[in-house]
Amino acid sequence: MSAKHALLGLLIQRSSYPYELGDRLLQRLGPAWAVNSGQLSQTVKRMEEDGLIERVDPRAQGPKERHVFKATASGAEEFERWFAADTSVTRLSRRPLTVKLTLAGPARLSDALEQIAAYELQCAQRLTELSRLHKSVDESVAGQGPRVRADHVLLRLSLSADIFALEAELRWASHAHEMISWLAGRDAIWSSESERSGTAAQCARNDARARLFGRMADGREDGPR
Amino acid sequence: MNLRLEQVCKRYPGAERPALDGVSLELARGQMIGIYGHSGAGKTTLLRIAAGLQAPSSGSVSYDGVRLREMSASERTRHRRREIACVWAAQSWQERLGVLEHVALPLLVDRRDHRSAERRAREALLACEAEQCIGMACEELSEGQRQRVAIARALISEPRLLIADGPTSRLSRIEGEAIMALLGSVAREAGTAVLVADSDADALLGAEVRYLHDGRLVNPADTQELGRLYRLPSAVSRPAAAADA
Repeated sequence: MSAKHALLGLLIQRSSYPYELGDRLLQRLGPAWAVNSGQLSQTVKRMEEDGLIERVDPRAQGPKERHVFKATASGAEEFERWFAADTSVTRLSRRPLTVKLTLAGPARLSDALEQIAAYELQCAQRLTELSRLHKSVDESVAGQGPRVRADHVLLRLSLSADIFALEAELRWASHAHEMISWLAGRDAIWSSESERSGTAAQCARNDARARLFGRMADGREDGPR
Repeated sequence: MNLRLEQVCKRYPGAERPALDGVSLELARGQMIGIYGHSGAGKTTLLRIAAGLQAPSSGSVSYDGVRLREMSASERTRHRRREIACVWAAQSWQERLGVLEHVALPLLVDRRDHRSAERRAREALLACEAEQCIGMACEELSEGQRQRVAIARALISEPRLLIADGPTSRLSRIEGEAIMALLGSVAREAGTAVLVADSDADALLGAEVRYLHDGRLVNPADTQELGRLYRLPSAVSRPAAAADA
């Protein structure tokens, strides 16, 4: 999803300078929400043009970075509408990596294997980062005494969503690594001719087959010879 | 090619039961039917009768509506040579012959000129992915190569009916699947009707499988009969329960 509704939610909770919003996004929702200042500035500009947010003191001069923004009534309405809408995503994602694996054919299996290995590593790195962050939030929650910080608890929840997803990805990647290694060591049958072709020898075979079978198919359209 | 067997029976002299008992089967252009049955079920007899190499004791065999019985002996021979090709489990091999000559032989027998026969043989071997066998002697071939060469030889006369008896029985699983894939594309792409038999139903990959048991084709819809053949407890217990009632 775009950052629009997240930013709107933050501005409804309290007004902010645009540069603050980036930090607040990260603090509340975790590293998946890292946005650069250019993107942030663009989004804020568009939201202001759409009348979702406005400057707290419109008389103040200077660039918009120096202004404090707050949500407008129509912004609050938009947030309510979005909140009530069904935004659950149960659609299975189309991973480029699985498409590559499926269409790699025997010639590119080892390349596919390298990509899986890289992906495994990436998942593991991300997982380590997130786990570290999750732990640090854990500690800060524990240090709050009898009253808990709701924002920290909810950040932990947001982080654990990413952690669980990454764990599943890592599990799949390891499984894929194992399967593709196994397949690479087998004398396998590939589903289409073109997957086996590529070599000049296979092209010659395909040509011969097309000629012979074509002649056989043509020769019998008018009944017995 | 439309092959039709109607109520075909075959009784060998002195045998206790008929080798084939009322077999009816229809095979159309581009279709691949696999006959599955244990050793002795009558598969080879069925294939030989379908190929016109053996006459049934009763019943009829017809090609494109013409009954084999109604053809003269010379017509039958000509028909068999032109339209039908067979790959037998116990194929006769001219061991001394080079692979190319072995494959070209049907055309040479048909008095085709040497050069075009050789060109056709190369093409057929290439189509069957056996081009590496060109230049080898038949006795040097591996089992898998033998099957490919045998199919190439069967295809060289561009048959409309291809009959293969246990073409994968001596091959590894992978090789067997590749041979069945080749036969499947002969049916699909060349429009040849393919009749293949094996004692392993799993080997008949891509074919419409029919079950031959004690000389009779089992109707796949007859679950009780199938249950009896496969000794499925649920199907076997049913007739007993019916007998009690």
